[in-house]
Amino acid sequence: MSGKRQTPLAPVASATGLFLIAVLAVACACFSVLAVKLGNAPVLPWEQLIPLGVYLVGVPIALVWLKLIGWKGDPGLVGAVFLLSGIGLVVQFRMGSFSKGLSSPLALVPFPLGLAAFVVGATAVGKGRGAWLTHFGWLAYLGALGVLGAMLALGRSFRGGLYLAGNLNPSEVVKPLLVFFLAAYLSRRQKAFSETQNGIPVPPFWELMGLVLLWGAPMLLTIALKDLGLMMLLNAILIVMLFAVARSTGYLAIGLAAATAVGFGVQLLSAHAQARFDVWLNPFADPTGKGWQILQALSAMYSGGMWGAGLGSGVPQTVPIVSSDFIYAAVAEEIGFFGCALMLAVYAVFFSRGFKVAGAARTPFERLLAVGLTASLAVQTILNVAGVTKALPMTGITLPLISHGGSSLITTLFVAGLLAGLSDRK
Amino acid sequence: MRILFGTAMLETLMNFMNGAHGTEFLRAVQVAFLAFLTVAALAVWAAPSVKPGKVNYGLLRVVVSGALLAVLLYQATWQLAGQAKPDFVRFMRRHNKRPNAAEMQVARGPILDRRGLVLAAPVPGDSWGRRYPLGEAGVHPLGYYHAKYGITAVERVGDAVLSGMGSDSLDELIGKALFAPRSGEGGAVKLTLDARLQQKAYDLLGDNKGAVVVMRPRSGALLALVSAPGFDPLNPGEAITDEANAPAFNRATLGRYPPGSTFKILIAGAALEKGLSPVFACSGPGYIAGSGTPPIRDSEYYAYERQGASWPGWGRLNMHDAMVHSSNVYFAQLGVACGAEAFNRMVERAKINDSLTYLKIGSGELRTAKGNVPEVSKRRTIAQLAIGQGEVLVTPLHVACYTAAVAAGGPMMCPRLGLGEKPEKLADLFSPKAAEQLCSMLRDVVRYGTGRAANVPGLDVCGKTGTAQAPGGEDHAWFTCFAPRRHPNLVVTVLVEHGGFGAKAALPVARAVLEEADRLGYVRQTEEEK
Repeated sequence: MSGKRQTPLAPVASATGLFLIAVLAVACACFSVLAVKLGNAPVLPWEQLIPLGVYLVGVPIALVWLKLIGWKGDPGLVGAVFLLSGIGLVVQFRMGSFSKGLSSPLALVPFPLGLAAFVVGATAVGKGRGAWLTHFGWLAYLGALGVLGAMLALGRSFRGGLYLAGNLNPSEVVKPLLVFFLAAYLSRRQKAFSETQNGIPVPPFWELMGLVLLWGAPMLLTIALKDLGLMMLLNAILIVMLFAVARSTGYLAIGLAAATAVGFGVQLLSAHAQARFDVWLNPFADPTGKGWQILQALSAMYSGGMWGAGLGSGVPQTVPIVSSDFIYAAVAEEIGFFGCALMLAVYAVFFSRGFKVAGAARTPFERLLAVGLTASLAVQTILNVAGVTKALPMTGITLPLISHGGSSLITTLFVAGLLAGLSDRK
Repeated sequence: MRILFGTAMLETLMNFMNGAHGTEFLRAVQVAFLAFLTVAALAVWAAPSVKPGKVNYGLLRVVVSGALLAVLLYQATWQLAGQAKPDFVRFMRRHNKRPNAAEMQVARGPILDRRGLVLAAPVPGDSWGRRYPLGEAGVHPLGYYHAKYGITAVERVGDAVLSGMGSDSLDELIGKALFAPRSGEGGAVKLTLDARLQQKAYDLLGDNKGAVVVMRPRSGALLALVSAPGFDPLNPGEAITDEANAPAFNRATLGRYPPGSTFKILIAGAALEKGLSPVFACSGPGYIAGSGTPPIRDSEYYAYERQGASWPGWGRLNMHDAMVHSSNVYFAQLGVACGAEAFNRMVERAKINDSLTYLKIGSGELRTAKGNVPEVSKRRTIAQLAIGQGEVLVTPLHVACYTAAVAAGGPMMCPRLGLGEKPEKLADLFSPKAAEQLCSMLRDVVRYGTGRAANVPGLDVCGKTGTAQAPGGEDHAWFTCFAPRRHPNLVVTVLVEHGGFGAKAALPVARAVLEEADRLGYVRQTEEEK
């Protein structure tokens, strides 16, 4: 955990060891799903196993590449990413996401592409190479606005939010782009945003107005897109990054208060948000209508109990849209509460290491980048799991590395690659 | 691939998976998976980390990990302890389509009466099957359990216990969460009802609409809780949609009726409490409480009028005689004499405006409707209310409760349907002295007055008739009584909707119920406090 416990193992070797242990768990999971599928029909669904094959072959190739470029980063972070994405692949295999096999290659490519993105990310910013990215802050900002604008112009209404054709959700890209922008923007204004009076942050008025105006544009676009989950997520990232730049808990407190106020405000203004809020408060008011999805998700969890029904042996199909937003319900049913606790623990270690990487970064830009990227994944995970377990209202946010969705997986692996690169400082 | 795994081989595998060892195999794989996942998680946690730099974001790490932990703990309240949430259990029983769902495999427990007789029992091999020996006579207190129409009344409130998910001890809960699939035997719900009395009371109402409440005065235990018309608990569909007769409506606990003269018991109690026992002149033309209010007359006035005669009035009456004759003219004046404060206090103590909880299992409750007595500030508005007319509305169970308070010597007990519950006092409604005076009045109502027909030899019945004007039809008929005079063991309250005179329509039912209860040994034997 701490720096005192440096093992003689080289980072890539450690990561490889972690990957091998992960493969054991993933293989068992895959075996279980296969056995259940074989019990239903005497067919070996080998085409559906392609993504897992890519995992088995591709990850070692990625590790070899890391070795070649002399990567010396945080092996735990990389191990956590490969463990979680392995479980995610098995879960998607189990949910039938790859069931069309080669006839639907779009379902098969996200993981290979994501793995490539991981390698690109790790290579691009490793050993302080990421410094050049700081010049592209404004480009990232414009890119984010462009993506949101394009979605507004082209997107079609789907499930209350907006998705582009093919259910590709480009809004995933908006998160890292805006993190880039914020990291570049704030790292140059570190001093201004660090000013506090009695613990209350008081940045100079014009700096504050500038940020408010700049931030207002993507916020208005997300409101126009009715993507309230994305809006919440982006604001959470902003608050964490302001905290990271100023290192004043005042920003966290103000942010929490503002988020609650805005949440209630939006809830009052938008019927879409209001409905989600009401379902959250009392799903039993309309159990077969609006409360159906969340109650089916909770029923699935309850059926899983402590040890789970076994991968492939549950009946999570009873939960509508289970393989994307509600995948956690299926996971909870099949690997049980115990498995969920382990999975969330791995997430926690992942994020914890991400923040550690940030703390150890050399330049303010790299530090803010690592904080923002980690926060984007952490907040996403918390919002998703809290939504599925009814701890918070459902926000329509996917679970990183597990949920179905190509753009989400590729982006998440790219972000994880950036973090892995940032952890390599030499 | 196809050569490696020939069709024959795949078929062998399929047979294995569907054979006896298939499930065991899958369980072993699951154990191995969780074990490797544990090792992997520990290894990720223990793997070497970057050297800490100048900045420490410990707070962020704690916040994120804490949030995940909090969500996980909240998840446990559903995943491991969901059986403690009755709404949730009910939802799963209806809508969980898993073929092996634990909550479906439970043989739903029976509902038993006070002697252990079956009121509702499962049908083996049918998860929604249910048998109700009382049929329509028992459907109102018991409710129904129907795949399409849902779960009601005792079936609903007792659902957690009946489906084997009732409140367990903590170690049992932990054990279930850790190891057992949450199935097994459903528990029994035991009620204070007597199946024979319930059936008899229902039969006695015949084609009438109405309600019968039979209650123990000192414990509040309900021996019968009847509402008519009933309906078949196995086919509730028609009853639910029948709006004209509303058979699905529990008149005994949810029906709100003007109490008529039975309300005089409370007014007399309020007066006695104040030390009032006045003598009023009760003239034939009636009593006018204030300018602009209609005269309040005795029922005899109208009886005389119909025969073309004019009613001379009772003359000077004391409270006792006024109760015996059920004189509206007297009680209107008595109410006014009591004053607003005493009236309001009595209504509040009698819990008329509250809903009474008569069954509580876990967090589920069965409650009566709230009665309605407006709070009065002017004396003259009391006149109309004091004779149980105007805006006064009560449920039959409320009437039974304040009758029981007289019988029990003052304390009003909480009505209860659950056997073995501790009796709970709701209020000290009357002082012992006032209760004793009320007892002797009510005894004489049956000996000489409007309730003469209920005077069963040897039982020393005390009671009060009631005839309440009802909108759109005949009057509602009431009779509420208890017996025996010296140590009352049983309260019977009968309401017949649009039955006409209380003494004519409701009283015979009450009398027959009392006789049947006496035959079963409930009247002369001292009430057992259980």
